[in-house]
Amino acid sequence: MELSREEQAILNGESGDGPRKAMELIVALGRIYGAEGLVDITSAHLSGASYKTIGDGGLLYLEDMAAGGSMVKVPSTLNPIGMDRGRWSEMHISEDFAKKQLRIVELYGKMGVMTTCSCTPYLGENVPKFGDHVSWAESSALSMVNSMIGARTNREGGPGALAAAILGKTAKYGYHLDENRRPTVVIDADIGDSLFEHSLLGQAVGSGIGGGVPYFRGISPDMDQAKTMAGAMAASGAVAMFHVEGVTPEAKDQDISGLDVITIGDAEIKEAADRLNTAEEVQLIALGCPHLSEREMKEIAGLLKGKKKRGDAEIWFCTSESVRARCPDEVRIMEGFGPVLADTCMVVSPIEGTFGRTGTNSCKAGNYLPTLCSQKVMCRDIADLLRVIS
Amino acid sequence: MMIQGRPISPGRAEGEVLVIDDAFSFLGGVDASTGELKVSPGGNVAGKVLVFPSGKGSTVGSFVMYDLKVHGKAPAAVINASAETIVTTGAVISSIPMIDKVDVSLFRTGDTVKVDADNGTAEIENVTVTDSVSSVILIDGRILMLRRPDGARSYPGRWSLCAGKVEEGEDPETAAVREIMEETGIEAGKPLGRIDPILVREKSTVWRVSPFIFRADGEVPSLNSENTAYRLCSPDEVISCDRLVERTPEAVKALLDLTR
Repeated sequence: MELSREEQAILNGESGDGPRKAMELIVALGRIYGAEGLVDITSAHLSGASYKTIGDGGLLYLEDMAAGGSMVKVPSTLNPIGMDRGRWSEMHISEDFAKKQLRIVELYGKMGVMTTCSCTPYLGENVPKFGDHVSWAESSALSMVNSMIGARTNREGGPGALAAAILGKTAKYGYHLDENRRPTVVIDADIGDSLFEHSLLGQAVGSGIGGGVPYFRGISPDMDQAKTMAGAMAASGAVAMFHVEGVTPEAKDQDISGLDVITIGDAEIKEAADRLNTAEEVQLIALGCPHLSEREMKEIAGLLKGKKKRGDAEIWFCTSESVRARCPDEVRIMEGFGPVLADTCMVVSPIEGTFGRTGTNSCKAGNYLPTLCSQKVMCRDIADLLRVIS
Repeated sequence: MMIQGRPISPGRAEGEVLVIDDAFSFLGGVDASTGELKVSPGGNVAGKVLVFPSGKGSTVGSFVMYDLKVHGKAPAAVINASAETIVTTGAVISSIPMIDKVDVSLFRTGDTVKVDADNGTAEIENVTVTDSVSSVILIDGRILMLRRPDGARSYPGRWSLCAGKVEEGEDPETAAVREIMEETGIEAGKPLGRIDPILVREKSTVWRVSPFIFRADGEVPSLNSENTAYRLCSPDEVISCDRLVERTPEAVKALLDLTR
């Protein structure tokens, strides 16, 4: 791998231990994936934010990184954490967990990371431009910026994305290169217009193809539909990029002749839904995986307006701080049913201590709730789920 | 024995080897505060040179490696056949020397190994390399297989190709022709082909085996005392037989491919 004189100097420790460790990691990852050199990045988005997922090892790592004086060089945002910073006591969170979680956020802040704690930074806080090289973790977000925006990122892990943010550079391989952004399979989708059907489409495709770059025909998703589809494809498979004919910015440049064509219709998405559904009734309904957009907040508030909370199940609405701040009227309506939480979601929060059966409209959550949170799952459309509690 | 791999995470270390046969996840695979392995073969990873084919599982595994380091229970070094993101990340952030592109089948639990991850090498201290040859002899389309005596020092009772050590100053092709003459009485001419040497670990020896293929149509073997029996086998029989000396089937397959 070719390093410039300046990059080699960082690797030799001439800029201090923090940048040296960051460079060691970027070089090691570049080496195993055959990168020829490094590329400048314009932003980063970091995972590894919830105490529940990174544990004491992750906390200690961040303590040492921050103590060493590491600072990010490019605008960097942070993934959701295990709780709402202001309302964790309503989430059945222990004080010990809260203390460690707040410390993790503080440490990222010390390193210059914007502590947005959202999985949808591309909707407001951190918006890459077409052609930008970036270093993003969070599988749904990185797939969205690769696909819907045309920025370029690999599927980074938390420490890799942090190292890239500290250097302002990452190794140039994978999705940074044109040849790896080309479609590998064509998906002819024949589905309805709802969010839930797009999530199920993502589920069916991700579990069907595993990895690769699907090229969709027959749908024209907006950002919300693409967001749930991207999340599902990245959770049920390892899809980090997709094209949609007539929608995504790089689709028109692609040659799809000779590729296999897979058709996904009602039968396939019904099968995808059946596989995720393991609960007939629920104790918690959690909406917002990935985090609710402004439009989704308006739709949910519209469905709940004039109704009363009923039944024992709790409901959480998970969104980003910025969207919550932009939707005061909707928040007022939704709060009549359950907390509108920022910073967090049901997947990275320790819900398994309180709940055993959870409802979601997200196939991404449908994949992770059984494994990360020991939940049985009811995976349905938003309107169906809201009928349980209103 | 010195093995050349690829540097992944810098540093140098020496320690006793602990081999894990399957792909390994630090998350769930080891207790971060004690270093106790929760998967086969058990034992403790602290201070060991951990040898396994590749990493797998959750990205949290990288932080488990850091946790081990903080608790003073980290492995001294990591050797993989093929490095992936999770273990690579964990090794680098935890300053654990790591190399990959190494034939992990050459290591045994209990070996003493020096890892120089700056240069990508591993030296197994208690092991020596011995050059040998192993030849496929094709007689009318069938392969000559020899049975080793039950009392043989090396691979007793196993079926093998015509094999033996390379003597000092001898080149492998000459050794192959000599061994064939000694063990079978057949005068082999020029080989039809050869492939790159393969390495096979047996106790404290690593055999660096140079494989050849010869044709000896119409010949009848006459054995000396180094073998007790012979058989003429079809290529499929050899490739699918599980009673052979290690790595014989893959060598036979590669050699036969040369003649097609």
